[in-house]
Parts: sequence; structure tokens; C-alpha cells
Amino acid sequence: MRGHRDLRLATAAAIAGALLALLMPIEALSLLFAAPLAFFLPGYAIVAAVFVRKPLAAPQLLTLSIGLSLSVLALGALLLNYAPGGVRGFSWALLLVLVTVAASRGAALRRPAAGEQAALSLPRPSSSQAALYGAAALAATAALVLAFATLPAKEAIGFTEVWVQPYTADGGGVRVGVGSNEQQSTAYRLRVRVGREEVAAVRRFALRPGESRVLRLPLVASAGPRKVSAELFRARNPDRPYRRVTAWAAAPGAPE
Amino acid sequence: MRRPNLPTGRFPLVALCAGIGLLVCALANALARATLGPPTALYWLGLLILVVPIFYRLTSREASSGERFALVCLLGIGLYAVKVVHDVPQFTFLDELIHSYNAQQVVDQHGLFNDNPILEATPSYPGFSGATSALMSITGLSAYPAGVILVGMARLVLVASLFLLFLRVGGSARAAGLGVAIYTSNFNFIFWGAQYAYESLALPLLVLVMMVLAEREAGDANRLREWGVPVLLATGAIVVTHHLTSYALAGIVAALALAYWYVRRTWKAPNPWRFAAFAIALAVAWLVVVASSTLGYLTPVLGNAVEAIANTIAGESPPRGVFESSSSSIPPTPFPARAIALLALAALAAGLPFGLRELWRHDRKKPFAILFALGSLGFFGTLALRLTPPAWETGNRASEFLFIGLAFVLACATVAGLQRWGSRRLARPLAAASIALVVVGGAISGWPWDAQLAQPIRVAADGRAIVSPPLATAEWARDQVPGGRFAAGIADAGLLLSPGNKVAMAGTNPDIEDIIDGEKLEGWELPLLRDNNLRYVVADRRAVNDDTLRGYFFAYPGSPTAEREPKSVIAKFNGVRGAARIYTNGSITVFDLEAQP
Repeated sequence: MRGHRDLRLATAAAIAGALLALLMPIEALSLLFAAPLAFFLPGYAIVAAVFVRKPLAAPQLLTLSIGLSLSVLALGALLLNYAPGGVRGFSWALLLVLVTVAASRGAALRRPAAGEQAALSLPRPSSSQAALYGAAALAATAALVLAFATLPAKEAIGFTEVWVQPYTADGGGVRVGVGSNEQQSTAYRLRVRVGREEVAAVRRFALRPGESRVLRLPLVASAGPRKVSAELFRARNPDRPYRRVTAWAAAPGAPE
Repeated sequence: MRRPNLPTGRFPLVALCAGIGLLVCALANALARATLGPPTALYWLGLLILVVPIFYRLTSREASSGERFALVCLLGIGLYAVKVVHDVPQFTFLDELIHSYNAQQVVDQHGLFNDNPILEATPSYPGFSGATSALMSITGLSAYPAGVILVGMARLVLVASLFLLFLRVGGSARAAGLGVAIYTSNFNFIFWGAQYAYESLALPLLVLVMMVLAEREAGDANRLREWGVPVLLATGAIVVTHHLTSYALAGIVAALALAYWYVRRTWKAPNPWRFAAFAIALAVAWLVVVASSTLGYLTPVLGNAVEAIANTIAGESPPRGVFESSSSSIPPTPFPARAIALLALAALAAGLPFGLRELWRHDRKKPFAILFALGSLGFFGTLALRLTPPAWETGNRASEFLFIGLAFVLACATVAGLQRWGSRRLARPLAAASIALVVVGGAISGWPWDAQLAQPIRVAADGRAIVSPPLATAEWARDQVPGGRFAAGIADAGLLLSPGNKVAMAGTNPDIEDIIDGEKLEGWELPLLRDNNLRYVVADRRAVNDDTLRGYFFAYPGSPTAEREPKSVIAKFNGVRGAARIYTNGSITVFDLEAQP
């Protein structure tokens, strides 16, 4: 690819991007390197390989580079599906690098040595234009930050969730979970019964919004499965069950 | 080296306005999420701040081709960002939940063609979920950010290709820019067409193919083969991505080939009949060999549409009312908004004859122009389909394709008008305002009024995040239930798919809907659940549990999400022998039908 700076750059960017994207432990940083590899470089290299006699104008080049990269992604998944290892991060990176390198190589072979090269460059903005671009980027960033912010919504009707799951390890029992999605801290009383009468446990606790608690209640071994019910009461209304869930606790030794 | 003609002019100022407009839209959505009253006017103000400066600049005579190209890219990305700030931090349209489940399955299973319990046809078109899996598996991102970025890139290709297509066909950068601006007024542009779903990738690729065919026609005769490569690549990608778009592509390229023949009386290149034959062969082969389930999915939709039209024409069933709510609890579209939507439609219709006249005068020997003229007429034909409920979806889907033609025709009319009256002071503001009117009207027509703004799904309380009842259920299922197959209302099932990553069935085939919604159990219902190996049933008292737009959010006083069904919709499962009520959050209760060991 000697003499074709754009192709050398595309190839180097693809290889370096693939390695860094795969090795980078932080997703957002990995995205910085993966995005050009997925959305631009394969298409750019294909365009370079196809349109060798007369390079395309910048808008066509940009549009086709992204559009053909998207096409490579859609078709590439099909290819990887039947390749050894299937659809994985490494195989994706390898495929995208191979497409970029192979197409760049094809472009270098077909392109006249001193021929025109496709080019994408932006005019340098003046200081006032740069300030406007900066302000626009700031406004867009603020919009995204605002959109991602988790805001209070006082009118939203809160609730509490309760669940029960049997377990058989260590002699068997049930796990009872209580999660608060209420708008304020709430005090609870949890009563767990085995069968109709036997009270296995009573717990009192309070949860702040977004908190949860899981109680693990071992049960005395019995000959067969027994129905377990867990009733949750709110402290402000202690006589009326607020939530009720049930489970069948398996006999010890039964598979979980 | 060729110096690219990229933006300068007023672009930086317009970009700042777009940023401010987006910020205002985000603020309106944030206030709506915070249940501080629906500041709908603020949202529309933000939208206008975003689009009007772009439209105004596009009407100018002096903007360069490069600046117009940048303006339409800004417009496409800006309007996409309006959809993104509506939904973060997760997908909330049913199709998005279905497709993000598919993408997660591709990553988890390291392969394509996995099952989807709600929309069986979708895994047979794996191009979209496969493309998402590239970003997910390389970076470790979840389906949401990967999908948002993928669709964003596709939107960029859509508007850029449309501009270049219109530029090549009409020969005027001014008309091309205005054509893209008018295209953004199609009913689905802001929300439905920008969702994370397979058509959001396939449609931009279709426009890319059209653009390449237009470039091919205009280019040197000895470069025809060069342009063939992107056509073949994109056609292949469309066929493996979306059924309807692949059929639309085949139809459009075939119609274009006929238009070439009509104009030039030859089948020789650049007549694209070979590409039409390729698209038809590939789409049919994919349908027969890989995606035969698509027939079962599409046939009832199209069949019902035809039957409904016949019934409405025969007077056997009444036409669907425009802006009609599906439930009494859903607020109707206010009168001023209805008026704007109807006015926008009237403006589109009023511009049509003038645009067609321009086309006849200047472009009638151009095959693409003939195609666009037919498309513009076809768009108004699809409006009739909206008058019958079963045909509504068919009309809605077709309009995105046909609007391409209408946008070009109306852009020709607008440019002709500007050339004639451009010296008058009000001409450009009036043109920009007219386009803004049709964009706002299209947005009102294309999405329910009460869903234009975000709803609370994850809110802050006492410094922590709490989530809505259906999302809490889905997160519990993901964290606490190993494996498991669920029967649920369609909204609950969507969240159980993603982020729950569970197999969840819903809807009428099999008839889960009646099992969930009924007040008592019928004899056939438990056997049906067992036959489909559905161990868990999600009983939901919320009236919106089968509402694919509103069923994911917190209830708050006065909202449709606060409406409740009778207690018996849950209590009917209490007496099922061997079942247990393993989860409840008040409105939603999950039963394990095989709880007794």
C-alpha cells in the first residue's frame, strides 16, 4: 500500500482499533475504538477498492462508507454464524479487520500509483465558529445528561414487592425477598407460616426506597412437601396483610 | 486532491439552535418523567427551535451544496436525538424489546436464528440483531447503547442518501435539501421509524440503493460496474434484515426498470432490471429457504387489511375515526393538535398538483421522477387504508416508502415557488413555516398525543432509584428465576424479554391474552399453558398490561396506567391445584403452576 496514505491509515486504524477495543476493560473506551471499525473503515476500504478511476466527492464517500459498513455488519453476522466459534467479539473484530485490509489491498493494487485519492477533510473553523460548535455540543451534551438523569416523581405511585423461592440445600427452606419501590422509608412486619398454623418466623424491619432484603428461613425436615406462605404487613396497618406469597417447600434431599 | 465541499456558512449557528432545541425537548421530557404536569407546549417549542432554523437555511439560495448536506445530516441526527431523549435509559417500544432480546440471544448463543416467543418471524431476518451483536460482543455493551448507536448511524445514512438521491435526480441542491426536510414530516419519522427495529436499518439501506442507482445512471458509461458493487452488497444486507423492505426494494427497482424502458425503450444498462431480478430472486429465496414463517406473520395482516377495506366500502363496518383513542382512559388528541395535523395533510395535498406540474415540465423524461410521481400519488392512496383499523398498519408501513416520492415532488413545488416569489420578504419564512407545519402535523398524526412525552419508568426516591411495577417484575424474573417460560400480557412480556431475558409468550396465537385478561379460568386455558410449557403466569390488574405504548411505566393519578381491572384477574389463579403465588407487587402477581414438587 505504499504511496496510498489513506489506505495505510485505514488498515492501521482497523488493526489498532480492533486490538484496543477488545483489550479495553471499560466499555465506553472500547466503543471509541470499535465504532470506526464497525461503522466506517470496512465501507471506506470497499469504496476505495471499487471506485479507483475517479474518487467520489466527500458526501458520497461518507455516505457510502457508513452505508456499506452497515451492510458488512448485516451480512457479516451471517458469515460468522457458520464460522468456527460463531458470533463472538474476537471473530467480529477479525472479520472487520480482514474486510478492511483485503479491500484496502485490492484498492492499492487497482489504484493508479499517482492517482487521486478519496479524501475526507473538514475546513478549519474560525474562532467564532468554533465557539458556536462548542456551545452546540454543550447543549446537546446537557440534553443527554438530563435525559439520563433519574429524577424524582412525587406523583408516581410506589409499591413493595415480595417473593418467595424454596431451596433444598442445607436441609431445605425458603428464601423470602422484600423490595421497596415506595416513595418513602417504610416499616414492615413479615410473617412466614408453614401449612395453616405453624409460624416459622416473624421479622420486623424497615426499608428505604430502592432497598431490598432477602431472608433465608430453614425449615424443619418433614416427610413431604409443605406449603409455605409469607405475609407482609406495613407498620401503619399492622392487622391487614399488604402482600402475600406462597411456595411449596420441598422435602430435604429433593433436587433443587 | 479534490477539495471537499463541506459546510461553512451559517451552519455553526444553526447547529447551536439545534442543540438548544434538543435541550428544550429533553427538559420537557424530564418534566414529564418527573410527573410535573405534561409540558407539551415546551416539547413542541423545542422541536421548532431545532428544525425551523435548518428549514429556513435550506430555503436560502446562497447555501452551498456541502452546507445543505451538513444541514440535512444535522436534521436527521437532531430528530433522532429527540427520540433518544424521550426513552433513555432503556427501550420502551415493544418492537425494541423484541429486537433487543434477539440481539442478546445472538450474543449469548454465539449464533443467529434463535427463537423469539412474541414475534416468530424476527429471528429469520438476523441482519439487524447480528449487526448489533458486533458492537455488543466487541465492547461488552448491552443491547441498549449498541442499538441506539447502530440506529443513529442508519439514520445518518438515510438522510444523507436521500439528499444525494434528490440532488442527482433533480439537479438542485436546494430542492434536495428541502426534499429531505419534507421527508421528515412523514408520520413515522420521529418515533416509529427511529425505534430499535429491523426496518430502521433496512429502510436507510434501501434509500442508499436508490441513491447509488441514480448515481450510476448519471455517471460515465464505463463506470457502471463500479456502482453495481454497493447495490449488490446493500441488497443482500436488506434481504437478510427485513422482509417488507426487501419486497419494497424489489418492487421499487422493478418499477424503476419499467420506467427506464418507458422513457428510453431499452433494457440496456443503466436500466437496472438485472438488479431488480437479483433483489426479487434473493428475497424469494430467503423467504422460501430461511424465513417461511414470515408468510404466517404477514398473510393475516395483509388479508385482514383487504377484508376490512372491502367491508368498509360495502358499508358492513364503520370507518375508523381519526385520532380515535383505543380506551376511554386515554386522553384524546386536543382540538388544536388535530387541526394542525389536518392542516398539515391539507398542505401536503395542496402542494401535490404544483409539484407534479413541475415534474411534468422539467423531469418527465427521468425514470426516477416518474417513480417519485407515482409514489406521491400512492401516498394519498394509503391514507384511505387508515380509515379501517386492520388496514391501518399496512397503510402506515407503506407510507414511509411512498413519502420519498411525495417529498421530492413537494420539494420541486417549493423551489418553484421560491424562484417565483423569492424576492418577497415573507417567501422564505413562509416556506420554512410550511415545512415546520407539516413536520409537526406529521408528528402529531404518527404518534398518540399522550405518548409524545416520556413517562416515568425509573425514578429517584430518597437518593435511590425505584422502578415501575412491570420493570420490577422483569428484573426479579431475571435475577431470581433460573430458566423459566412465562405467559403474560404483551407489555409485561416485552419487559420479560428485555431486560428480563426470559422466554415470555403473549398475544392471541396461542391465546394467552384471554387467559391473562379473563376474570375466571376456562377449561381450555390450563391445558394450553401446559402444552406450551409455560410454567409461570404473570397476572396483571393494570388495564394497560396489553398496551404496547403505555404498559411499562409507573402509575400516577389521572394516567391511563392507574386504571385497574377487577381483582379476579389475579385471584382466578389462586385456586389452581399445585400452583403457588411466588411473586407480587400489588398490581402484578406471578404464579408458578408447577410449584408443588
